[in-house]
Amino acid sequence: MRADVIVVGAGPAGLASATRLAEAGRQVRVLARGNGFTHWGAGAVDVLGRVGGEPVSQPLEAIDRLPEGHPYHLVGQAAVRDGLEWFSGFAAGAGLAHAGDLDRNRGQVTAFGTLRQTCLLPEPAAGTGPDGFLGGRVAVVNFAGFRDFSPALCATHLRVSGIDATPASAPLPAWDHDRYFTGVELARAIDDAGFRRRLAPGLARAAAGADVVVVPAVLGLNRGHEPWADLQSLVGTPLVEAATAPPSIPGLRLFAAYRARLEALGVRWQFGFPAVGVERDGDRVTAVRSEGASRVLATRCEELVLATGGVAGNGIEANRDGTLTERVAGLPVDGFEDRLAYLGGRFLGDHPLAAAGVRVDAELRPVDASGEPILANVRCVGGLLAAHDPTVEGSREGVALATAARVAALLAATPVR
Amino acid sequence: MMETDVVVVGGGVTGVAVLRDLALRGVRAVLVERFDLGTGTSGRWHGLLHSGARYAVRDQESARECIEENTTLRRVAPHTIEDIGGLFVLLPGDDEAYAEQFVEGCRASGIPTEELSAAAAHRREPLLAPDVKLAYAVPDGGIDSWSLLRSMAADAEARGCKVLVRHPMVGAERDGDRITAVRVHDAVAGEDRTIGCQWVVNAAGAWAGEVGRMAGVPLKMIAGKGVMVVMASRYVRGVVNACRKPADGDIIVPQHEVAILGTTSEQVASADDISVGLADVDRMIDMCAQMVPAIASGRVLRAFAGSRPLYVAEPPADGGGDGGGDTREVSRTFTVVDHPKLDGLDNMYSIVGGKLTTCRQMAEAVVDRLAERMGVTEPCRTATEVMPGADHGPHQVAEPLARVERDQAYGELICECELVTRGQVRDAVASGLTELEDLRRKVRLGYGPCQAAFCAWRAAGMLAEAGNGPGPGGDQGPDAVVGLERFLEERWRGQRPTIWGDQARQALLNHAIYRGIFDLQGAGVPDEAAEPSTPAGGSGGPPGWSPGGAGEG
Repeated sequence: MRADVIVVGAGPAGLASATRLAEAGRQVRVLARGNGFTHWGAGAVDVLGRVGGEPVSQPLEAIDRLPEGHPYHLVGQAAVRDGLEWFSGFAAGAGLAHAGDLDRNRGQVTAFGTLRQTCLLPEPAAGTGPDGFLGGRVAVVNFAGFRDFSPALCATHLRVSGIDATPASAPLPAWDHDRYFTGVELARAIDDAGFRRRLAPGLARAAAGADVVVVPAVLGLNRGHEPWADLQSLVGTPLVEAATAPPSIPGLRLFAAYRARLEALGVRWQFGFPAVGVERDGDRVTAVRSEGASRVLATRCEELVLATGGVAGNGIEANRDGTLTERVAGLPVDGFEDRLAYLGGRFLGDHPLAAAGVRVDAELRPVDASGEPILANVRCVGGLLAAHDPTVEGSREGVALATAARVAALLAATPVR
Repeated sequence: MMETDVVVVGGGVTGVAVLRDLALRGVRAVLVERFDLGTGTSGRWHGLLHSGARYAVRDQESARECIEENTTLRRVAPHTIEDIGGLFVLLPGDDEAYAEQFVEGCRASGIPTEELSAAAAHRREPLLAPDVKLAYAVPDGGIDSWSLLRSMAADAEARGCKVLVRHPMVGAERDGDRITAVRVHDAVAGEDRTIGCQWVVNAAGAWAGEVGRMAGVPLKMIAGKGVMVVMASRYVRGVVNACRKPADGDIIVPQHEVAILGTTSEQVASADDISVGLADVDRMIDMCAQMVPAIASGRVLRAFAGSRPLYVAEPPADGGGDGGGDTREVSRTFTVVDHPKLDGLDNMYSIVGGKLTTCRQMAEAVVDRLAERMGVTEPCRTATEVMPGADHGPHQVAEPLARVERDQAYGELICECELVTRGQVRDAVASGLTELEDLRRKVRLGYGPCQAAFCAWRAAGMLAEAGNGPGPGGDQGPDAVVGLERFLEERWRGQRPTIWGDQARQALLNHAIYRGIFDLQGAGVPDEAAEPSTPAGGSGGPPGWSPGGAGEG
């Protein structure tokens, strides 16, 4: 088997890289172990939410304050802008329009009633104000029996932020889940227009008197934002989807949109086939080895894009002795004195391990200790990169999209040999 | 002022067993506990129902106590026991002469053994090391100390005794050679209370010396720290021990959905020293992997330490008690300290030493002594009177699955790892529980491999819906969030030595959920380095906060 470019990983960085390279005319193959941070994120596009623990209101401007070596510095603000612009166009084209821009952050309502700082929000989560702010009286409504959302928890904490929020519950119309159900099952049911018509009256009653209704992010799975828009018009009150725990249904929508786009572009896709090694010839990778159903397969390639994630994404293994191993190409990763140094003393604090990754040059090629590129045709994108903590900074999707933009610019210009 | 006949100090298995024994003899008694039941050593151990075989070579008095109580507990509290048996395995390099002493010691102590060939041992435990030479089967078992505590406490309360949790003892009032009252601090109400009494039983285990000090009598306890490591699955059907002189990392106890590796035995200066080092964890894993090699590459959930309540009537000449030595030489038998005779304090007895397996016998011994002084003629009935809940028979590890299948209302899982259902959490919340940490001990919420990634916030939501936040009435939501943050930080304590590999991914994923998605910043929750409070110092944390309560059953 052979491909022109192999992208390993199907999280935010791998999906964007593969799509952009395919759009640029490269023949791309995606190898992925499983789902990534589309499913495990908040369903928003974080660019930069905090620097040094302090909230950021203007993400693009705050990039200057990030420490040296940060991926944003390597690719530059132009790539961040390019990444976000491309994403907005792609998402809107897939029926998943996003609101927001790089000039300022917006508040995303979460199931805990916190307002997390993010940059772009899918329209159903965007809120009614210019900053995503929820104006007026807010009803926080759960669908009866859905275990992953507590209106009481959400509403009481929203009130701490000065928002006039009240918890309520809306009955679900009869459906084929008399026992318990997941958010995915509920979202799939809401894809059905008839179900929405039966659901709307109860939701409207629960929302009576409210200016805005906050609901868990379950308003449809496979129909873009249309189920949300339709239900909103049936209820007659703006509906705002709150971020819930994984799997993120907005993330699932986005993942499906990427997958459809990649298929339309003719990209071959091997899902559930983890890449386990590479074959090399001098300073070039010639093939990627991946686990097949019964044996290890080698797929030849001209270029390799590693989008396997950091430790959280399984691109890097944290060993018992404090050393770190990059799992596909064995790239060098700075380790720690011992494993105690991986993590901080507070769970909700900062964890050094989250920022561990592969160091690269300005062309995103992995480098050795002296800063020289090790492999000429390997690029690293997204969470795999050293010197950023996607969770604490709130930078996951921004780094993914900016580095994907950089890779697209670099490799679109590389002639096929 | 509250009045009672007997105040029992300490809410571990010993104190609660004393309370039940008193209740069954018709004596009025009140138990006071600084945190919650089972937050000291009773909640920080490996869960082994001893057959006594571990002591058969060197401490036959303990061995005999163990096998006797093993039999008794199976009769009166079968529902707290997993009847899984145990093996002592002989590996290449182990001393065969020791094996002979072991068999002889078991015989002399009344512990039945059955020799199994390597093939028979592997049939019983397929994951045993291929080079195991032979094994001896013994009647070890697993026992859930929290289930035992709940049953004994419920029985005692049903018979008119009282349990006061979050009431650390802070002082004693003496009139000459008698204690007339015990002073406690009501940590929830934030005020001191006095309990007038005729008698005091000091069952504070590793902390018994503190109680002695407050009562004005010397009582020297030795804290013997034991480190344990929790693996994410059971690995073995029954208990697996190394057939050698007791040493670090020579036992694997399967319990509920996990396996616990034990243990070290190190003398430390304070019973509150429950720190765990990297080397301890590595040693437990490497040693236990000699018996079950799959453990070497397994997923570690956490590590914790407990303080054995060791007592020697006359400390060795080298001083003893200030840390450093191996405490395996100290007998595991128990002692009733007769303060009337030893110290002229006429109405207090301390019950020290011993093991969880022998807690009932310990209670019987001290209450017999007390009853004689009190003129109570009712005999001890704890060896025959079956505990509430016992009619279900021995605990089956698949019981949670059966429960989920049986009852639709119980079908909705809040905690997937431990199969904790909405029904269980709802019932626990309805009974007035306000802290996630209490839910953890009651229904095992948050114990499994995902370490509360999903269950904790679902349960926090249920607490918020019920208005059971720990703060003052009215607006409970923020308190539910703070309570959750406290729970997460409490769970985090002591985890770092065991996080690498898949568990490192899990930790960062959980961080991405709670800090990344939910945007919790954890302000106002004490960090890992925070000093744990001591019983003498009262509660250093918010009401209900237990600095030591992070162990496994």
